Amino acid sequence: MRFKSQKIAFWFFAVCMLLLILQVTYGFIMGFARIGMDGLHDFIPFNAARATHTNLLVVWLLTGFMGAAYYIIPEEADRELHMPQLAWVQLISWVVVGVIAIVGFHFNWWEGRKFLEIPRPLDYLVVVNVLLFLYLIGMTIWNAKKHSTTQLVLFFGLFCAALLYLPGMIYFDNQTLDSYFRWWVVHLWVEGVWELIMGAILAFLLIKLTGVDREVVEKWLYVIVGLTFLSGILGTGHHYYWIGTPKYWLMVGGIFSALEPLAFLGMALWAINMYRKKGKDHPNKLALYWTLGCAIMSFVGAGFLGFAHTWPQVNKWTHGTLITAMHGHMAFWGAYGMLVFAVIAYALPQLTGRKLFNNLSGYLAFWSANIGMVGMTGALAVAGITQVYLERKLGLDFLAAQKETEVHFIGMMLAALLFTFGVILFIYDFIRHGKPNDEAIVAATSAE
Amino acid sequence: MLSKSQARAFFLGGTFLFSAAFLILTVDTLRQNPTRTKEQNMSAAARAGKLIWEKNNCMGCHTLLGEGAYYAPDLTKIVQQKGAEYLKVFLTDPQAMYPGQRRMVKYNFTDQEKEQVIAFLEWVGNIDTNNWPPKPNIEPPATGNTVALALPAEKPEKYTQLCMACHKLGGTGGVVGPALDGVGKKYDAEYLDRWLKDPPSVKAGTTMPKLPLTDNERQELVRFLASLK
Ligand code: HEC
Ligand code: HEC
Ligand code: HEM
Ligand code: HEM
Ligand SMILES: [Fe+2]
Repeated sequence: MRFKSQKIAFWFFAVCMLLLILQVTYGFIMGFARIGMDGLHDFIPFNAARATHTNLLVVWLLTGFMGAAYYIIPEEADRELHMPQLAWVQLISWVVVGVIAIVGFHFNWWEGRKFLEIPRPLDYLVVVNVLLFLYLIGMTIWNAKKHSTTQLVLFFGLFCAALLYLPGMIYFDNQTLDSYFRWWVVHLWVEGVWELIMGAILAFLLIKLTGVDREVVEKWLYVIVGLTFLSGILGTGHHYYWIGTPKYWLMVGGIFSALEPLAFLGMALWAINMYRKKGKDHPNKLALYWTLGCAIMSFVGAGFLGFAHTWPQVNKWTHGTLITAMHGHMAFWGAYGMLVFAVIAYALPQLTGRKLFNNLSGYLAFWSANIGMVGMTGALAVAGITQVYLERKLGLDFLAAQKETEVHFIGMMLAALLFTFGVILFIYDFIRHGKPNDEAIVAATSAE
Repeated sequence: MLSKSQARAFFLGGTFLFSAAFLILTVDTLRQNPTRTKEQNMSAAARAGKLIWEKNNCMGCHTLLGEGAYYAPDLTKIVQQKGAEYLKVFLTDPQAMYPGQRRMVKYNFTDQEKEQVIAFLEWVGNIDTNNWPPKPNIEPPATGNTVALALPAEKPEKYTQLCMACHKLGGTGGVVGPALDGVGKKYDAEYLDRWLKDPPSVKAGTTMPKLPLTDNERQELVRFLASLK
């Protein structure tokens, strides 16, 4: 850490960990409901648990991105954050809005559109909050002495993410259009602008951890985000096959979404090659594990498992089944969950001055979380294939087919237990680092 | 070798080009939308139904057009498959229709609200979805009553409204319960009467629901079932 104002990032990361634990709790509520243990049905029906699970996911990831931005931008811009007190205002109001939304879900107060359940009045508050966030990091960059590619790509990604939230706030009484523009948020986020955020954060981490020349890292960053938009924008069409939109989307969506894994493959090859070319051995091996792990797992979860069901001929059968949930878990975890973990693993020792990397609990956290997630994905895959075969191919009744998936959900929850064990270990290490302090500030030359 | 400024040009150029293509296709999609979704058939009731659908986050358990949650069945074609009358009975008390099964929330909808939700789902069912959901294309293993038998011409009204949603007869109908072909050979009228009156009292733990039928309707159904030989 080089600037006092970077310390705010720590509190964003702390909130992030708290929300993750809550998200996992709600995951288990749904998992139990799926094996017939729905004792909470009267208080937390499945739809409330699900809205909470997925919204907490999106919120903890965004909180992590914001923390990352507050850490990275001052360092890249080589100056203190613009008005750091306002960053506190932003954090607190963000948490307040989030808590109201989550509590509201339990009282049937929501918008009822998948992933965009936050009710309209709160949407406006989210917009104001994000504008404040963009203002703070925007002004920091504006007044900077240097403008690195990494910080520009990061800002551009965050800015577009904010912009793309708006189409989700328009009301349509036509279900097809409702869905059409819902994807402008959901798809163009995770398979578009969030990849810019991911690329920029990975670039920052790779520069710090491998010591490879900034020019080389950033050149390939441009190529990767170029590939992202080349495939991802028209790739939105893979959600426009069956919702009432014209037939040409079958071809447009099929071809361009099939190219999307290239961006993730690029990300993985880029990270591995930069590591191979490393000019130094950074002592924080754990941060390197999470960084390279993120680049690789995102290719598996998003690239490979996304590709598996993106062709119209396959998607016709798997659309809206547990196959989608299988891909959703590994993709979100591999690309964005691990990204936030990577930033935290790198930034915590810097923020607190306690160099607790490379201890056993850190590695154990990494391996059990990832092996747990692979197990969860495997169980969901088998459940999904069972569902597609029985319900879609044979025409069995929905509930009868679901009965056959229960055993796989027992397996899924066992794997989820391992995953959760990893997350808890990670948080245990987080807490052991203690609070950020000014003694951790070091001069530019020895910072890295 | 590729230079950094070339890489940047690739990024900016690609972004501009593909965003433009996406916007053009969006304009065309909007242009075709009223025809493909048969927007002229969207009644005031259907619009109101969409609001009820969203207000209660039905998508948090169900999928519609294949989007939503995977806990409960896809409802895209539900009105076309099961009929409005059945759905009215179902929505009055969802748990009674599937006793002992995965639970839906019991909403206390008024008759008008039920009609609005059904109108919305019916409108969605008529959207041109490029033939989604696909028809099952593998023959299920044979299960008992599958021999095609001569069908009596007249089906009681309640049979088409309620029973068809779950039972197949002569190859048409739902798949929740067993096919009813030849059921008159299996059971006599007295048994069928007791069964329709209160299934759980005949067979504990059964998943066949107790349906709201008047005595007349029940007797008509029993005569009909008993004739299926
Ligand atoms: C807590 C989860 C949940 C919520 C919320 C929910 N449902 Fe359901 N729904 C189910 C389940 C599970 C079934 C399968 C049958 C059963 O067990 O009741 C079902 C079945 C149905 C059926 C089809 C019945 C059949 O025989 O095929 C309809 C229609 C339906 N729901 C409509 C709705 C509407 C409309 C809403 C919103 C107002 C809604 N559901 C909200 C869980 C839910
Ligand atoms: C919600 C779905 C559902 C509806 C609606 C329904 N049934 Fe059933 N029915 C079932 C199920 C499930 C079974 C199998 C029950 C068992 O074996 O425990 C069954 C069993 C039966 C049987 C016994 C069949 C056999 O071969 O043993 C008869 C007869 C029957 N139903 C008649 C009717 C009639 C008549 C109606 C309309 C008034 C009707 N059902 C409506 C689900 C339904
Ligand atoms: C990090 C990147 C990604 C994330 C976080 C992600 C996540 C998700 C999620 C959550 C859904 C369910 C959405 C909903 O129904 O509302 C979904 C659907 C889908 N994803 Fe991804 N995804 C990513 C990348 C990809 C890629 C690269 C591909 C293709 C190669 C892909 C293909 C698909 C397809 C085809 C669906 C639709 C499934 C259906 O029809 O039900 N995804 N994705
Ligand atoms: C560890 C315990 C977890 C359990 C038991 C769990 C379980 C579940 C269940 C049962 C669903 C609902 C599927 C349905 O509609 O039927 C779900 C949805 C989802 N979960 Fe989890 N989950 C867990 C953790 C996570 C994590 C860590 C992530 C992300 C990193 C995640 C991301 C998602 C997403 C994106 C969806 C929506 C999927 C879709 O709509 O296709 N979950 N989860
Ligand atoms: Fe997508």
